[in-house]
Amino acid sequence: MGNEFSYLSEIGTEKGDLIKGLQLVQSREGYVSDDAIRAISKHFSIAEAEIEGVLTFYAQFKRTKPGKYKICVCDGTACHIKGSILIQDWLSSALGISDGQTTEDGIFSIETVACLGCCSLAPVMSVNGKVYGKLNRKSLLKILSDYRKMEE
Amino acid sequence: MADINFILDGKAVTAAPGETILSVATKNGIEIPTLCFNGKVSRTTACFVCIVKDRKTGRFLPSCSACPSEGQDVDASSEEVREMRRTALGLLLSEHTGDCEAPCTLACPAHASVEEYVRAGRQGNFRKALEIIKQRIPLPMSIGRVCPRFCEKDCRKNVTSKPVSINDFKRLAADLCYEDYMEELPPLKEQKVAIVGAGPAGLSAAYYLRRLGYASRIFERMPEAGGMLRYGIPEFRLPKATLRKELAHFAKMGIEIETGKELGKDFTIESLRKEYQAVIVTVGSWASSSMRIDGEELAQQGIKWLEGIASANWKNCANPGRTVVVGGGNTAMDCARTALRLGGDVTVVYRRTQKEMPAEQLEVLEAMEEGVKFEFLTAPLALRKNADGKLALACQKMELGAPDASGRRSPVPVPGSDFDIVCDTVIAAIGQRTVAPEEVNRDKRGNIVIGKDIRCAEGAVFAAGDCVTGPKTVVEAVAAGHNAADAAAAAMEGRSYEIPAIFNVSRGHWSSLEKSDLVFLREVSDADRVKPDYIPMEKRRTTFEELFPTIPAEKIEKEGERCIECSCTAKGECKLKKFSEQYCAAPDMFPGSKPLAAVDTRHPYIIHDRRKCIRCGICVKTCSEIVNRNLLAAMKRGFNTQVGTAFDQGLQSYCTDCGACVEACPVGALDWKKKD
Amino acid sequence: MPDIKRIKVGTASCGLAAGAAEVLDAFQRLSGSIPVVEVGCIGHCYAEPMVELELNDGTSIFYSSVKGDEKSVNAILGLTETGRFQVPAERAALEKLNVTRLSGSIDPKDIEEYKANGGFSSLKKAFELKPEGVIEAMKRSGLRGRGGAGFPTGNKWSFLAAKKADEKILIMNADEGDPGAFMDRSMMECVPFQVMEGMLIGAYATGATRIFIYCRAEYPLAIKHLNIAINELKKQGYDRLPGREKPLDIQIKEGAGAFVCGEETAMIASLEGKRGQPRFRPPFPTDSGWNTYPTAINNVETFANVPVVIADPDAFAALGSERSKGTKIFALAGDLKYPGLTEVPMGITLADIVYKIGGAEPGSVKAVQTGGPSGGCIPADKFDVKVDYDSLKELGAIMGSGGLIVIGNNRCMVETARYFLDFTHRESCGKCTFCRVGTTRMFETLENITAGKGKPEDIDFLVDIGNKIRKGSLCALGQTAPNPALSTIRYFRNEYEAHVKDGYCPTFQCAALSDVRLDPDKCVKCRLCIKTCPVQAIGDDFKVDNAKCTRCNTCMEVCPKKAISRVKKGDGFSSNLSK
Repeated sequence: MGNEFSYLSEIGTEKGDLIKGLQLVQSREGYVSDDAIRAISKHFSIAEAEIEGVLTFYAQFKRTKPGKYKICVCDGTACHIKGSILIQDWLSSALGISDGQTTEDGIFSIETVACLGCCSLAPVMSVNGKVYGKLNRKSLLKILSDYRKMEE
Repeated sequence: MADINFILDGKAVTAAPGETILSVATKNGIEIPTLCFNGKVSRTTACFVCIVKDRKTGRFLPSCSACPSEGQDVDASSEEVREMRRTALGLLLSEHTGDCEAPCTLACPAHASVEEYVRAGRQGNFRKALEIIKQRIPLPMSIGRVCPRFCEKDCRKNVTSKPVSINDFKRLAADLCYEDYMEELPPLKEQKVAIVGAGPAGLSAAYYLRRLGYASRIFERMPEAGGMLRYGIPEFRLPKATLRKELAHFAKMGIEIETGKELGKDFTIESLRKEYQAVIVTVGSWASSSMRIDGEELAQQGIKWLEGIASANWKNCANPGRTVVVGGGNTAMDCARTALRLGGDVTVVYRRTQKEMPAEQLEVLEAMEEGVKFEFLTAPLALRKNADGKLALACQKMELGAPDASGRRSPVPVPGSDFDIVCDTVIAAIGQRTVAPEEVNRDKRGNIVIGKDIRCAEGAVFAAGDCVTGPKTVVEAVAAGHNAADAAAAAMEGRSYEIPAIFNVSRGHWSSLEKSDLVFLREVSDADRVKPDYIPMEKRRTTFEELFPTIPAEKIEKEGERCIECSCTAKGECKLKKFSEQYCAAPDMFPGSKPLAAVDTRHPYIIHDRRKCIRCGICVKTCSEIVNRNLLAAMKRGFNTQVGTAFDQGLQSYCTDCGACVEACPVGALDWKKKD
Repeated sequence: MPDIKRIKVGTASCGLAAGAAEVLDAFQRLSGSIPVVEVGCIGHCYAEPMVELELNDGTSIFYSSVKGDEKSVNAILGLTETGRFQVPAERAALEKLNVTRLSGSIDPKDIEEYKANGGFSSLKKAFELKPEGVIEAMKRSGLRGRGGAGFPTGNKWSFLAAKKADEKILIMNADEGDPGAFMDRSMMECVPFQVMEGMLIGAYATGATRIFIYCRAEYPLAIKHLNIAINELKKQGYDRLPGREKPLDIQIKEGAGAFVCGEETAMIASLEGKRGQPRFRPPFPTDSGWNTYPTAINNVETFANVPVVIADPDAFAALGSERSKGTKIFALAGDLKYPGLTEVPMGITLADIVYKIGGAEPGSVKAVQTGGPSGGCIPADKFDVKVDYDSLKELGAIMGSGGLIVIGNNRCMVETARYFLDFTHRESCGKCTFCRVGTTRMFETLENITAGKGKPEDIDFLVDIGNKIRKGSLCALGQTAPNPALSTIRYFRNEYEAHVKDGYCPTFQCAALSDVRLDPDKCVKCRLCIKTCPVQAIGDDFKVDNAKCTRCNTCMEVCPKKAISRVKKGDGFSSNLSK
C-alpha cells in the first residue's frame, strides 16, 4: 500500500492541498480507492472519515473505477434546452448503462456533468476529454462505434 | 471593546462584544429554539430554526451566529418570525423518518404506553407494567379481557408474523398485582364532581379526577356499578367476580358510587350543578334500535335481554330454544353465544356477508366454533306468531350492491327469495340508541353533542362515552372519560381545555412496510404468537365459564421478546418534536421524497439511524472537537448529505463507546440501543 | 502567397470543439514558410473554427467555419472570396471591445506578444501610483465585481489593504459555475497575461502575499494557459513586487466540481481542504478568510478589467450607466443565431444584445434568462431594459456573471424553471435547512408539474416556499435558487396554469403533457420513422400511437420532411382512446 501511492510525496502535506492530493490520485488511478484514502490519510494526517467526507462532497471524485472511455454528457443550460436528456437516453440505451455506471467490459462509463463550456456547440459531450459538439442520434452512435472499433 | 446596545422584541438590551443574539435572548428570558447549536461545539449555522429578523433591513438572521450591532432592532417572536421557524421545522420534518411513538400506542384509543408496559412485562416486572397501564387505562382487568385490541391491528409485527398479544399483558398485570396495588394519590381538593353513570366512561372520569386530587360521586341507576361491563358483556367474557375485584379498587381509592339513582327521576343535571363544581354525563347508550318490521314487539331487544340474563344467575335462566339473533355487531354475538350456552339452537341473521360484519372477527369465529349458525345476506321482513305458539321470522335473501356512504356495499333484496325461519325466540340486536336529558345538547339521533372542550351544556357540564359516540368499545369510553376528567379539572382550575393533539412522525403503516424497513434494537424473537388455552369446547357450549384462563407469566414474558419496540429511542428528549409541537409544525407540511439513508445497528450499544438525522453536524463536531477521534464525518452533499464513517465501517471499529455523540444528538439519530 | 504575413487559428475550447485542431494541423502542413500561430477566441463562437490571415498591408481577412481538408485550406491560402467572415456592422457599432481587445488576436501563450500590445503598462503605472493611488483609481473608476454580486472592487481592496497581517490572501475566482456562462474561461484561455496583470495589480494594491487561482477542473485549456503565464511571469520576475522581500506565492487550485464553491466562504473552505460549505458572515473574509488570514476574492473578469481601469480610470467611468460603469462581457447561448461572447457598454438594452448582436429573430424569443440558475427570466416585452446591476434586479433577475440564455417561443418556462431547480438543489451544499430541503421540495413540485401531476395550489406553494428560501438561506446559492421559479411564475403564470389546470403544456415540450403527431400532408411515406422508432409506436398507417410512444423524438430527428411534431395533449392518435 505504501509504495502504490508514493507519488503523493510530490505534493505538500498542508491540509489545504488535500483536494490536490485527491485529484492527483484520481488522475493516476481513475478513481479514489479505499487504499488511496488510507494513504492520503497518512500523508496529510487527516482522519479517513473526514477525507471521505471531503471527497464525496465534490462531484469530480469517483469511488468506483470508471470505464476506459469516460463519456461526459453536458447538461448545462444550452445543452439542456438543445436536448441533452435525449443524448443521455440514447447513450444509456446504446450502452445499456445509466448515469454514473460503467459497462461490464469496462470500456465505457457515462457521467452527466454541469457545463463543458462549449455552449455554442450544444448539445455536447466529451470522451476522455475530447469534446464532440452539435450531437444528434446518428453522430452519437457513430462516435460510440468508432471507439468500439478501436477496441477490436 | 464596549458593550452593544440594541433592541430585542421591543426591549432595550445589552450584548457583550462577540455575544450572539441567541445568548442575549436567553439571558433576557426570550426563548429561541435551536437544534444545531449546543454551546459545546463550534457553531455550524445549519438548522435556521433560531432565525430572527432585523426589523430595519428586513433580513432574517440565524441568532446562534449573528452578533447584534449597535442600535439594531431585532424581532425574535413575531408571527412572521414564528412562521419562518415553523417552515424550517416543517422542512426538517419532511426529511426525517422514524416513529416518535409506537404504532400500538397511537392505535390505542386511550394511548396507553403499550411498548413500555410490554417491555416491563418482558422483564417480568408486572407491577411496573400495571403502573404504566393505569396511567391511561383505569380498568385493566376488564379491558384486558374484552378489548378488541386496536393496538394489535397496527402492530408492526404484522409485517413478518402475527401481532404481539398485547392485551394479555394488561390482563396478567392486573390479575397478578391488583390485590396490593395502590396509586400514589394527591390530597383531595375542595371541589367535587358529580358523575352520572358508573360505566367505563364514568369510572374512568372518577379515577382520573381522583388522581388529579378531585373527589367525585357517581350516580348509577342500576343496582350495581359497571355499566356495560356489568350488564352488557356476558359472564363468559368478563366474569362478574373479576369485575367486582376491579371495582373494589375504586372503592379503595375513595370513589363514591351511589346505585339505584336515575337521572331524570332522582335528580337532574341542574340539581347536580347546584351541589357540585362540575358534572360529567356518562349515561351510555342503552335503548335498542328498532328493526322496523311488523311484529317487532314479539322479539327480544338484544341489550335488554343481555341485561336480564346478567341481572340473574344464568343457571336460573330459561332455555330460549330455537333462537334467531338479528344483527352483526358485538351485541349480536354476545346474544347468540349467551343463548347457545343457555341451551338454545342459535342462528344469526345478517343482511350482508361475514366480511362486512361490524363485530370483532375473533368473536365471530369463536361463535362459529361454538356452534352458532349464520344466515348471511338475509334480512328480516316480518315477525308473526304461529297458531302453535312458535314464532315465524319472514326473511328475504339479499345481494350486495354499490357501496354506500360508509363504503360498505349495501344489501339489495333478491326478488322472490322470501322464506320463513320458525323459532322460539327472536333477539333483535341491530344497534342501540342514546337516551339523554333535554338539559344537554343532542344531535338528531339522540347522542349528546360535545365541543372541543368536552362540554355538552352551559357551565361545567361534560359528557363522555357511548352517550356521545353511540355504542363503541370499553377502551374508547375509558379514553373519553379521561378527557372529561381533564376537562372538568381544567374548568375548576379556570383553565381552557382541548383534547391534546398528538404530534407524530411515522415510518408508515405496517401494510406498506417490508422487513428491511423495520429497525431492531435487540434480538427480537421470531417465535409464534402466544396462544391462550381455551377451556374445552363442551364447557364453552354449556357453561358461562370464562373462555380461557389468564396466560401465565412465563409465557407472557416470552411473548414480550417478540416486541420490536418501534418507538423512538429519543422519546421525550427529541428537540425536533418539542419545537415542532411548540410551533405547530407538522410532518406532512412539505410532502416529498426522503433522503436515501440506512440505519446502522452494528455497534453493540449505539444505534445510528440516519433516517432521523437532521444534519445539524453536532455529532461530527462532538467526535472531533471534544472526543478527538474524528470517527464521524458529513458525507455527500445537498439533500443526500449524511453523517457517516470511513468506508462505512460503522462506529464499532475505533469507537470508545463514550456516548458523547449520543448525548449531543438533538434527535434520535444517534442513541443508545437500550431503552429504559 | 506573398501577401500573407501570418496565419492565426482560433484554438480556444470553442474552436477546438468545432474542429480547430485539424484546421491548425492542415495549415501547419500547407502554409510553407508563413508562420501559423494559435490564438484565442474573438467571441464569435458560432463561426468556429476561425482563421485570420494577417496581410502584409496591415489588414486582416477572417474565414469562418473553416474545414481542415487540403482543398479548403489551399483555397484560403489563395485568399478565396468564399467563407470570408466579417463582423456585421450593426453589431460592431454596439460592441465596445475594451477588455476583450486582445482576445483572439494574440497568441495567449506568448508574453512578448502581450507586451508588444501594451501589456504590463498598467502594472508599471500602478507601481507609480503606489497602492493607495491604485485603490483610489479603482474606486474612481466605479468598477463593480463581475462575479455576480456587483460589490465595488476598490472598496473590497481597500478593506484588505487596511489589514495588518503576516499573510494576506488574494483569490481569483475562476470557478465559473453558471451553466451558460463562459466569459471567464475565454479570458483565461485567450488573454491569460491580461488576467494575471490585473491580479498582480491587485496584489500590489492590497498587500496580498499569496495568490490562489481557484479554477474549475473542467477548464483544462484555461489551466494550461494560466500555468504557462505564471511560469513566464516568474521567469521574468513579475512576481517580485516593489518593496517586497519575498516573491508572491501564486498557486492554481483546481476546483473539484461543486457550484457552491463560487460562494466566497465556500471557496475558502475548499482551499483549506474542506468540504466546500459556506459559513455565516461576519466575520467577512477580509477580516478572517483563508486559514484566518485576511482574504479578498475577485472574479476573473474583474481582474481582466483591472489593466483597462488603471490605464485610464476616468475613461472607464465614462462608459456605462450611472451606477454600473465600464463594459461587460456577456455569454450568449440558447435560441439565437450567433451564440458566443460579446463585450458591450453597461446600460445597453437587452433588445440590442439579443436581436442586434445575438441575431435572434424578433418574435421568436419569449424571454432571456440572466444570471444562470441564480438569476431570473426577463420576458420579451421588457427587453427595453437597460442591462446593468440595478435595472435587472428590479425585474427580479440579476446580472450574475453575465450569462444570457435566450429562450425561444418553443421552450416551456415551467421546464426551464425545473431545469434550474434541478441544478441548484443538486448543487446545494446540504448545510442549511431552507436550501437543502426547500429547494428539493421546489424541484419536486416543478417536476410533478412538468410530468402532468401538478395541482393548482402548487403555483402558490412555489411562490410561498420560494420567498421563504430566499429569506432563510445561509448563502447566496440558497437565497437566489428560487429566482428561476419565482420569475417564471411572475411573467409566465399562464404557462404554469395551463399545466396544472388545463392539463397541457403550451409549448408541447413536456412529454407527459403533449402528444406526437405525423402530418400526413407532409409525409412522403419513406418509412424511416417506422424503422427507427424504438418502441414500434408508428404503424403502417403512418400514425404515431401516443399510448406506445415514449416521446423520445427519434422519429422527429430522422424525418426528412419534418412531418412529425409535438402537438397538444389529446390532439394526437392514441390506441387507448380509440377503443
